[in-house]
Amino acid sequence: MTGIVIEGVERSFGSVRAVDGVNLTVGDGEFFTLLGPSGCGKTTLLRMIAGFCELDGGEIRFGAKRIDRLPAHTRDIGMVFQNYAVFPNLTVAGNVAYGLKARRVAGTELARRVDEALALVQLAGYGERWPHQLSGGQLQRVAIARALVIRPQVLLFDEPLSNLDARLRVSMRAEIRELQKSLGITAIYVTHDQEEAMSVSDRIALMQSGKLEQVGAPAEIYRNPTSRFAAEFMGTTNLIEARTLGRDGAGMVSLRPEALRLDSEAPAGWPRVGGVIAHVEILGPITRLDVRLADGSLLKVAALDEPHRTLAPGAAVMLAYDPARVTVLT
Amino acid sequence: MRLAIPHQQRMPLAIAALGFLFLGLFLLYPLFNVFSASVLDADGEKFTLANYFKVLGRPFYRAAVTNTLAIGVTATLTTMLISVPFAFALARLPVPGKAAILALAAMPLVLPSFVSAYAIVLLLGRAGIVTQWLNAWGIGFGSIYGAGGIVLVYTLTLYPYVLLPTMAGFKAVDVSVEEAAQSLGSSPRRTLWTVTLPIVIPSILAGGLLVFIETLENFGVPFVLAEDMPIFAVEAFKLFIGETAPNPSSAGVLGVLLILTTAAVLLIQRRYLSARRFATGARAAPPILRVGTGLRIAAAVYCWTVVLLALVPFFAIVVLSFMEFRGPVLHPNFSLDNFRILFDRSTRPLLNTLLFATMAAIAVTLVGVPIAYVVTRVRSTLATVLDVIATLPFAIAGTVLAIGFVVSFNSGWLILTGGPLIMVLAYTVRKVPFAVRSSSAILHQIDPSLEEASISLGRSPLQTFGRILVPLMLGGILSGFVLTWVTVASELSATVVLYSGSWRTLTVVMFQALESGGGGVATAAASTLIVVTLLPIALLYRLVRRYELS
Ligand SMILES: Nc1ncnc2c1ncn2[C@@H]1O[C@H](COP(=O)(O)OP(=O)(O)O)[C@@H](O)[C@H]1O
Ligand SMILES: [Mg+2]
Repeated sequence: MTGIVIEGVERSFGSVRAVDGVNLTVGDGEFFTLLGPSGCGKTTLLRMIAGFCELDGGEIRFGAKRIDRLPAHTRDIGMVFQNYAVFPNLTVAGNVAYGLKARRVAGTELARRVDEALALVQLAGYGERWPHQLSGGQLQRVAIARALVIRPQVLLFDEPLSNLDARLRVSMRAEIRELQKSLGITAIYVTHDQEEAMSVSDRIALMQSGKLEQVGAPAEIYRNPTSRFAAEFMGTTNLIEARTLGRDGAGMVSLRPEALRLDSEAPAGWPRVGGVIAHVEILGPITRLDVRLADGSLLKVAALDEPHRTLAPGAAVMLAYDPARVTVLT
Repeated sequence: MRLAIPHQQRMPLAIAALGFLFLGLFLLYPLFNVFSASVLDADGEKFTLANYFKVLGRPFYRAAVTNTLAIGVTATLTTMLISVPFAFALARLPVPGKAAILALAAMPLVLPSFVSAYAIVLLLGRAGIVTQWLNAWGIGFGSIYGAGGIVLVYTLTLYPYVLLPTMAGFKAVDVSVEEAAQSLGSSPRRTLWTVTLPIVIPSILAGGLLVFIETLENFGVPFVLAEDMPIFAVEAFKLFIGETAPNPSSAGVLGVLLILTTAAVLLIQRRYLSARRFATGARAAPPILRVGTGLRIAAAVYCWTVVLLALVPFFAIVVLSFMEFRGPVLHPNFSLDNFRILFDRSTRPLLNTLLFATMAAIAVTLVGVPIAYVVTRVRSTLATVLDVIATLPFAIAGTVLAIGFVVSFNSGWLILTGGPLIMVLAYTVRKVPFAVRSSSAILHQIDPSLEEASISLGRSPLQTFGRILVPLMLGGILSGFVLTWVTVASELSATVVLYSGSWRTLTVVMFQALESGGGGVATAAASTLIVVTLLPIALLYRLVRRYELS
């Protein structure tokens, strides 16, 4: 169980700077997520930690020990891959035992730990099955058991849920988080799915073009994005000129749709802004509105469903917003 | 500071280094020596182009070039002509016994073609059985010797090279393309000519190219059938055997010309095929067409006739080997004398054949599989260069490589001539491209993350190779092993240059028996060779079947 220190790490492929000077410290036992759009360098950074990708510069340490020059198989890492990577020539138990045998665990100790690991991922009794007899979700459980059973210093996940269907993704991510917390192993998790990242992580590093955009707890990044990219990537937002809201300053601000309310439903102290309804969608619990302001810009509003109001396109409407939730972007 | 090679690259680099070392020593170095022999004077000291002028100045050798090319082109055309309708019938028409046809059609690829040529002589030659029988009825036909017979044998033994890819091509045509053409008002017949066939053309040409190169390099068939007609590979051999000067300059010239021709053909093909590649990405395999009874019967008769005709010579050899020969003359009495004579003289040729084939197959696997690993898993110029060099033997005639071996390893620090090792090494080099091709085909289907998973679980790259990749590749490695074994067992062109003393193989026995007119021993050696070839294939087939069933 170890913290991870990443210092000035960089890597280029030809002219592409896949990872461009990343500095990070991941705490002991932390669930840390690398989040960003496809191609931003998440996998490359993760593979550098695992030892499958060379560093052009910088260094990586587990605790005090520098590991970026060590061969991958000596790094003591558990890795879970997007496509499961379960060995098709071994049974489920054979897969889970693979890393233990490499560590010369044998006999009853081996059997006990394999059974334990399978029980942990709810596959008790599946040891003798072959991988081709399992579903995608079960395969990913095998892969997780296989990575956990060696009690690695660090667990790495590269988009482990993206090949599963939506419902399974939601339940599996909760399971992964629980397992990680109960075992206390430091984990780095890669995903491009903002909601998944927010649901599992202690902290998130938002990446773009090989650089870290913002690092922080999920709620902190969501509520206080420091850049336009962070504000937009972490969920729907309104990016508008400060002037449009009648505020001082020249820059852009971010205002989340749920920070806006209809005049009649808002506290009296909130600032008002008037416009015309351009579009209405009732999605069930939430009603989405597009409101066109006097200067032509469009505001997205998300309001809880309310049976006693009528909203029609073309109608004039007065909106209120929570001034505390206006984020000034730099 | 020590030389830092990143750990991810250590194993591939080590493999590549060994690969370069092996291929450099046993492929590039011999080839370089063939080349330098061709541009040095008879004493091997001064640079000169005189050898080229001397060889090409003689009409005999110019004829060797044109004959070889003309026969190659003709045989390529006839194989295409036979195979394309055959492939279409197998892919799209209701033909009974398709599985059997396919199994039988692949057999000429592993059976030795010069055995087929020899059978043709025994059946249709001057004193041939069929010839005499026809003569008795007053029917005569043209001579089987020379270009006609050679083209016939090439067609019968090489047609699967076109048939198999073309059939795959016809099956890969997306039905929706054909349906689109027909919905635009094209008749089925016109659709075939204007839509389906053009899509399949690259496959036909790819197969035709293999045929053409095979004809350029083939030694045994023209040796049996050419008589006075000069043919490239045979003349290179004769020149080499006959040259007494220390520097085999004339054989070197023919060797270089042969390599250049093959290389030119390959380059043209690469140009052409890269320019037109029709990927249709078939989702639905095209259906079997509904046709009238007449066409259905015609297709069945056609397919079965071609398949069986190609195998008749081999069958005939086996039958004839149990008959009585007096010298080269055949008498229709059952007899085991041929085998008695063959094996009484010595069982060494049979044992040598088995030994060399096994050693070469092991060596090819040990060299080819790791090279395939580097070629598929590493993206770098180094890997590309290794790939090109490992494919090179495909374009080198066995005769030429063998001449290079003799020139390179009969003196100096590494002397191999006169022993068995030189033959095994030559076979290994010749078959490496096939092992690399077949292994990389499998490796492409194995997800690299399996290796990474194994490494992250604590197994070194080398252990991962042994514990994960080898088991996953086992089926492919095994079939590659058997195919190498089988083709090495019937290798002739390098063998006749390299064998010595007691290290004769079955093919050499046959070759010598043919030279000295010992028909009986030749047929016995030929049918032993056929058995030796077909037995492992049958075993492999059963093994694969059992593996698939379990
Ligand atoms: N082996 C490689 N060779 C060349 N380019 C690569 C390689 N691996 C990644 N890249 C490039 O580096 C960038 C980052 O890739 P990656 O780390 O896979 O992104 P992500 O996982 O965030 O989608 C991409 O532009 C990708 O094309
Ligand atoms: Mg990725």
